[in-house]
Amino acid sequence: MNLIAAAIAIGLGALGAGIGNGLIVSRTVEGVARQPEAQGKLQTIMFIGVALVEALPIIAVVMAFIFQGQ
Amino acid sequence: MDHKAPIHEFFGLSFNLSNVLMITVASIIVFIIAVLGARTLAMKPTGMQNFVEWIIDFVKGIIGSNMDWKTGGRFLFLGATLLMYIFVSNMLGLPFAVVVDHTLWWKSPTADPGIALTLAAMVVVLTHYYGIKMKGVAEYGRDYFRPLPLLFPLKIIEEFANTLTLGLRLYGNIFAGEILLGLLAGLSASGVFGILGGAIPMLLWQGFSLFVGTIQAFIFTMLTMVYMAHKVTKDH
Repeated sequence: MNLIAAAIAIGLGALGAGIGNGLIVSRTVEGVARQPEAQGKLQTIMFIGVALVEALPIIAVVMAFIFQGQ
Repeated sequence: MDHKAPIHEFFGLSFNLSNVLMITVASIIVFIIAVLGARTLAMKPTGMQNFVEWIIDFVKGIIGSNMDWKTGGRFLFLGATLLMYIFVSNMLGLPFAVVVDHTLWWKSPTADPGIALTLAAMVVVLTHYYGIKMKGVAEYGRDYFRPLPLLFPLKIIEEFANTLTLGLRLYGNIFAGEILLGLLAGLSASGVFGILGGAIPMLLWQGFSLFVGTIQAFIFTMLTMVYMAHKVTKDH
């Protein structure tokens, strides 16, 4: 039971992180393609966005390890 | 993952001695970096002074992108300390982890939820403190009802959500990284095929963990300044 819970937690977390990060980076690439001089600023904002979006999936990973360990 | 923690009781409080050790090590390393950087100050910086000046400049950029310098300048050393301390803490667990008969002694201090959440709680309490100190209690109270008084419960929840996510983001990233490092080290130690199969993933994961540790330190400092700016400046 614990392993199923861990698997669901990590699976859905990875799905969310993948889709979220994909959206962020794709918009950033689009922005840089339109205006290459803005690459520095857009890249910084991208990293901030990725870290914010990945916060909850990472918490899901930690919880999966906790479920699996019990 | 199933390593015990060396918890000892002093005066009714339980201390995780591994945390105490790692916090001391991180503090000493940050102190040495700072002292070495400020030894012989020259107008044209070289070597260590250059490096520390670059860090200060970087934090200046972070503060500048959130508040004007008149209100934000006082947070320069808070930001620099957070950045250096969290960066060094994240890096400490990467070269090795020391397990002495089933208790884990050497790890990243930020891989412990208590330490990461304490840092986050301290930062959020500081934002409230500076909000009251720089705007007065009346203005600080009125800010909870801007822009819409209807959103007051959401603003209260926002404080707790910010603290939790700030701390757990740092903890989750570093802890998950350390678990995977442990698994890969175990794989590499289990025979010839283990070494062949585990060497490249180990290298890749070490590199990625270096990247993640740096990014998390930057994000923590950036979000500190963002929360500070929300409390200390007037927008709208």
